[in-house]
Amino acid sequence: MGTAVGTIIENTAIVDFVISGTPLVYPSNTTTITVAERVNVTVTLQSAQTPVAPGQESSALLFTVTNTGNGTEAFELSINSVLAGDDFDPDPPTPAIYFDTDSSGDFNAGDQPYVPGVNDPVLLPDDSVDVFLVNDIPGGLLNNNIGRSELTAMSATGTGVPGTVFAGLGDGGVNAVIGSTSGEAADTGEYLVQEVLVDVAKAQTVTDPSGGSEAEPGATLTYTITVNVASAGVATASVIRDAIPTFSTYVPGSIMLNGSSVSDAIDADAGELDTSGTPSVVVRLGDVTMADGTQTIVFQALID
Amino acid sequence: MKILMSVILISVAALAVAQEARHLDVQTTVQKEEVVVNEAGESQKRLVPADVVVPGENVIYTITFTNVSAEPADNIVITNPIAEDLMYVDGSAFGAGMDIQFSVDGGVTFAAADELTMVEDGEVRDAEAGDFTHVRWVMRNDLEVGAQGIARFAAVLE
Repeated sequence: MGTAVGTIIENTAIVDFVISGTPLVYPSNTTTITVAERVNVTVTLQSAQTPVAPGQESSALLFTVTNTGNGTEAFELSINSVLAGDDFDPDPPTPAIYFDTDSSGDFNAGDQPYVPGVNDPVLLPDDSVDVFLVNDIPGGLLNNNIGRSELTAMSATGTGVPGTVFAGLGDGGVNAVIGSTSGEAADTGEYLVQEVLVDVAKAQTVTDPSGGSEAEPGATLTYTITVNVASAGVATASVIRDAIPTFSTYVPGSIMLNGSSVSDAIDADAGELDTSGTPSVVVRLGDVTMADGTQTIVFQALID
Repeated sequence: MKILMSVILISVAALAVAQEARHLDVQTTVQKEEVVVNEAGESQKRLVPADVVVPGENVIYTITFTNVSAEPADNIVITNPIAEDLMYVDGSAFGAGMDIQFSVDGGVTFAAADELTMVEDGEVRDAEAGDFTHVRWVMRNDLEVGAQGIARFAAVLE
């Protein structure tokens, strides 16, 4: 921001006056000032507090680095995940700083890593670049633990007390003067550990051929499995797998999910009987939240 | 008629002489404020020549004019256009014995600051420092032989 570096500003005053009834006019000398470069930068966090699971890898925080000076500047980027005041230190891999090359806002394979001194971003005045900080999350963390990671951008021309002059280092060889941001800026993003709590319960009933509940050969075992998400968050891609007891044989076609029949065959529906190893009932619940309520799975087997 | 003719002739001659002899010596300087911290840790401001300036810095223009002729000079008006990349610092114009006026129309008309208005989005509003295109000092009295006047204003580089 600001008048372009190298701009020359001239000033000439005009004086009108009268001497002995004669009107006269004179210009003054012309003064000249040259606009030097003011170096300023900002770093702004874009990501909201990011939920993560312990042991999660490559979770990214998005930042925007903006050249708020009036000259073209290269900026050196650095990451610090060992900050005081949080519950854990995120663990940056190498490399840990990436550009949002495909401008998607999401960290993915198209984004290029930052290599210090090789691809320091060069920004025109008012221009900006989006940068990811990538961290792995350590294991053994507690729910609601917070970990912070900080991105710093430093002007390659120099940093220092505002007003510090770097003679001749501005665009076109004019002076560069450090502005109010001291030539560097930083911002910090946050990870929040969130474990999703899932309650799973299984009940068994026995019905023998005479209508009683003796566990004898030929008796029907009915299993009811209930699944409840008991916390905030999403239990993603949940799958319930239950082996048929070795003393019994699965009753074909008996799998039910929330009252609807699920075919035994491996097909497009939510489940099947998996006979590849010990026969097991497999039901895919998908992404489940507390709002989805109790998920109920029922199947039957006959005691051999 | 004869008298009229001779008066006209004298006036023309006076004009020619003025352009060579410079009845008024006019000098402009541009300076900026420098903050110096002395040994006691106190900050002091002083004016230094402004050569290289960065956006956000203030520059101070001082116009000094001296009557180097043999006659008093009257109706003295100093007009200074404000460069496009500079913005006038409100209240900074100064000149002893001078009325200060501004233009918002590129120097066509001038008036006191509180009399100037602008039309924006179809509405009339008071003119602000950022609207001023020129600053003008009008001396109320004559400038005697050998006397000096000083006009000054500050602007910030955008």
